[in-house]
Amino acid sequence: MRDRRPGDALAEALSTRRILVVCGSGGVGKTTTAAALALQAALLGRRTLVCTIDPSRRLATSLGLSQLSTRPRRLDIARFRPAEGGGAWAMTLDTRSTFDALIARHAPDEASRQRILGNTFYQQVSSALAGSHEYMAMEKLLELSADERFDLVILDTPPTRHALDFLEAPERMLSFLDTSILRYFLKPYFVAGRLTLKVVTRTGAMAMKLVDRYLGLQFLQDLSEFFLAFEGMYDGFKERAARVHELLRSPASGFVLVASPARPALDEALFFYRRLREKRMPFVSFVVNRLHPDPGTLGARAPGRASPTQVEPELARRLLEIYKDQRTLARFERRSVASLEVDTREPLILVPELEVDVHDLRGLAEVGGSMLPRKAPA
Amino acid sequence: MVLDEVLRRRLVILSGKGGVGKSTVGLALAVAARERGKRVLLVEMDTALEAARVLGRGPSGATETQVMPGVFTVNLDPRGVMDEYVRRMVPVDMLARRVLESPLYKRFFAAAPGLPELMLLGKVMTLEEAHDRWSRKPRYDLVIVDAPATGHGLSLLRVPLAASKAVPVGPVGHSARRIQAMLRDEARTTLLLVAIPEEMAVTEAVEFHTTAAREVGIHTSAVVLNACHERRLTEEQEAEVLRLAAAGADGTLARGVRLGAALAAGRRHVRRRKLTRFYQGRLRKALPLPLVCLPYLFHEEMDVDSIRTLAARLEAS
Repeated sequence: MRDRRPGDALAEALSTRRILVVCGSGGVGKTTTAAALALQAALLGRRTLVCTIDPSRRLATSLGLSQLSTRPRRLDIARFRPAEGGGAWAMTLDTRSTFDALIARHAPDEASRQRILGNTFYQQVSSALAGSHEYMAMEKLLELSADERFDLVILDTPPTRHALDFLEAPERMLSFLDTSILRYFLKPYFVAGRLTLKVVTRTGAMAMKLVDRYLGLQFLQDLSEFFLAFEGMYDGFKERAARVHELLRSPASGFVLVASPARPALDEALFFYRRLREKRMPFVSFVVNRLHPDPGTLGARAPGRASPTQVEPELARRLLEIYKDQRTLARFERRSVASLEVDTREPLILVPELEVDVHDLRGLAEVGGSMLPRKAPA
Repeated sequence: MVLDEVLRRRLVILSGKGGVGKSTVGLALAVAARERGKRVLLVEMDTALEAARVLGRGPSGATETQVMPGVFTVNLDPRGVMDEYVRRMVPVDMLARRVLESPLYKRFFAAAPGLPELMLLGKVMTLEEAHDRWSRKPRYDLVIVDAPATGHGLSLLRVPLAASKAVPVGPVGHSARRIQAMLRDEARTTLLLVAIPEEMAVTEAVEFHTTAAREVGIHTSAVVLNACHERRLTEEQEAEVLRLAAAGADGTLARGVRLGAALAAGRRHVRRRKLTRFYQGRLRKALPLPLVCLPYLFHEEMDVDSIRTLAARLEAS
């Protein structure tokens, strides 16, 4: 294992696994990484789909598309000469329509489907439900994992406040939808839909009184109708969530944790890593994006010249300042990153900041290429 | 001048893509407002970079803490705010505890859609409206909200409208409408967009501006372009650096510093500076808003000095 290079695990995952989930805190280049990895996998000869849930169409921008659709769209990657059979697709995820489809799948009949879709509460909240973006992303993943058209699905996770929210979303969502407990408290409404409050337990009555007083009776009625409509669907939901969980834990899946060299992002990645280990989820690799290059090491590689060039003193002074600033930053970043390596003993893939912004396929190909080990010289 | 426009309001909400330095900008704005004699509260919502830590204090908590003279911070987490609300509604401690510990509360209220966001904004409104009991003067002259990153920031701001539709009657519906009115009141509330000179951060800022105006009806006063690489070399010097770098010039610039290395650094600087200017142009063209540029700081970690530097730049804008 000792002589494995940092990108080996990632390269192997790109060629063999079925699902890769890309996680990290906001602003670390998660979406770019997901797209870059999809492109690399395609170049390795796999039919790869990258799926993002992206309210601001970030992925479209970096794929050079004006817009992504909720159906996989094939990217034009011929100019990168992919290996035989390789192809890349991209799609975006719409939480509301995925949710609607999930309802349709589990509703016992057309009437109950209509009842839920028409419920005021559902309409207002289906896309705002705490964790619903994450939950729907996982739901879609399950669906896509069975799609014969793709060898590999790469999921760019939603921009959660904490990257970890992603893993816990299904549980939170399920406990919200778990009607058994609500049925207990909302009993009078479930039974008759009447606007009366029966004392079930003292605490329950008090909690309901609060809801009644502060949210109003109409809301309570909408809510109980919503849960009433959900009765009988819950088990289906639960079963599916269990399958997602199983899928994510299988050795055919893998997590790529993305960070930037900034402390908060590295801390978040470490925290996430530990949770993955606890939950026995398959970790693949860390990717640390946008490392500022250390000009000191750049210079060392430059070929020496016989006649040293002189620059005028004012320029020399300013250049020295710029050089020192960049060195300070680069060294600080390397120290921060090294601590993640020490804490986890896992290889880190370090991606240097490019001199140009990555916002097209060529840039993505370059970034992705730099994450994988160079081919051994012939 | 831009600062005048922003500080005319009592509530400033910061928003931008994750990682653009919203918290830093928020803190710099707080310090700049303080310099003008305002009593400022910086509201954080579960952020990674805590203002109090930057200022060398312990982490900010759920209660307002003075972190420097005239500057207060508070770190709101939805659950804490909600618990506080329940305690206020149920004055008997033992009963309040029972509600808080009941499975219904834990499972439902904690996961109820939009409720955490509504609670957070409700708390912000309470803080903005707070008055000193004796003097009747507002407790704070300015409340700055370091809102969650774009996607979440938008769902945060959308909640009051959605809530007032979902809950048409009762006190919660009433608060939702009051919060919505506060957000739409141009004389009271404004949005400050934060971006960095990168494609996606700029694209998101532009999209956020459009969506926030259309769907929430909130006023935006300015865009802050953070982490700008500013000119450090004259035009002639830049040309000379690029020429020498391309020619592979080398030698010794100073003790232990090779010219080739310094030229590589110089070339990077020139590229970054040009990119900064490119995105400044993009923002100016895409948004009819004043643009404030803050410099990229080569500091290891943000400290009081970094914040003061940025605050001075805001003041000068």
